[in-house]
Amino acid sequence: MGAPKQSIETSLEQVAGQIRELKTNSLGLPDILKLADVMVVSMRGFFSQLDASIYKELTDVSSFINNARSEIGRLQPSNLKQKHFPEAGKELEAITQSTEAATNTIMEQAELIMAADPEDMDAYHATVQSAVMEIFEACSFQDITGQRISKVVSTLVHIEEKIGSLANALGAAIEEVPDEEETDEERRRRELILNGPALEGEGIDQSDVDELMGDGASQDDIDALFD
Amino acid sequence: MAVDLSMPVLVVDDYKTMIRIIRNLLKQLGFTNVDDAADGTEALTMLKGKKYGLVISDWNMEPMTGYELLKEVRSDEAMKPTPFIMITAESKTENVIAAKKAGVNNYIVKPFNAATLKTKISAVLGDF
Repeated sequence: MGAPKQSIETSLEQVAGQIRELKTNSLGLPDILKLADVMVVSMRGFFSQLDASIYKELTDVSSFINNARSEIGRLQPSNLKQKHFPEAGKELEAITQSTEAATNTIMEQAELIMAADPEDMDAYHATVQSAVMEIFEACSFQDITGQRISKVVSTLVHIEEKIGSLANALGAAIEEVPDEEETDEERRRRELILNGPALEGEGIDQSDVDELMGDGASQDDIDALFD
Repeated sequence: MAVDLSMPVLVVDDYKTMIRIIRNLLKQLGFTNVDDAADGTEALTMLKGKKYGLVISDWNMEPMTGYELLKEVRSDEAMKPTPFIMITAESKTENVIAAKKAGVNNYIVKPFNAATLKTKISAVLGDF
């Protein structure tokens, strides 16, 4: 905003110079009109430069908002809420139900085998044969579960792509918010060391546990597990 | 000293399937008197009303975890001597160390097999 300020100062100096040249006691209407004219020209120049600067900034803001709106539109939040999230939830629920049903079937058949009387070989053989077939059939859940999990993974990838696209569009305008304060639930999980099952290669195995539990475990052995 | 296979054993887990698996394994090992509880709170009530020869507990349960149950058991004079084995998917070193400090007798990482269960019970109660 330096240029308009400089310009109006120059104009005002010109006006002041012209006033100084005038004899104010003999100032007539034409003189006053001339001064007013100079003032109008000066102010018009100032405001036209001011308008251009503000206009550019408002245009940038408008463009940014339009871009953000467009990206949020592409995110299709209502589609995610009404279609993708409920479908993923249903798939996960179906996975839980099918694995539970399969586990029950397998355990029931295994219990039948455990309880079968081996003294009666024919009956025992028939029981084992029938139970084994039931167990094979129950294991087919793995194929269907795999397909359901693939659908859930597709949904997660879809969401990841949409959010990534939005983040790219907003670019430097996004400031990473610092970690929120720990919730009561998070504090409880930390204090009670509720980590849940570890992923492959992340946790320790039974032999490491045995080392820790054994009297022979030295501080060095324990420290080595943290490396 | 031989292990009394008729002694009461308490299995604590919030997954019915896991209780069923441990019950069947214990049955295969010869244990005949097995009770179960769905979380630490229920288990604590049962432990106050009956003397158990062994507790086998999961860690991650609500509202009372196996870790909290272990600390409750070890802080009570009557329950303190009860052998306590943790069977859990919590396989971080910090979990094992915390359980050991709290007084657990043995620690089994899920998934486990019958041989591991037998070995750990033997390590706590003696051969059977």
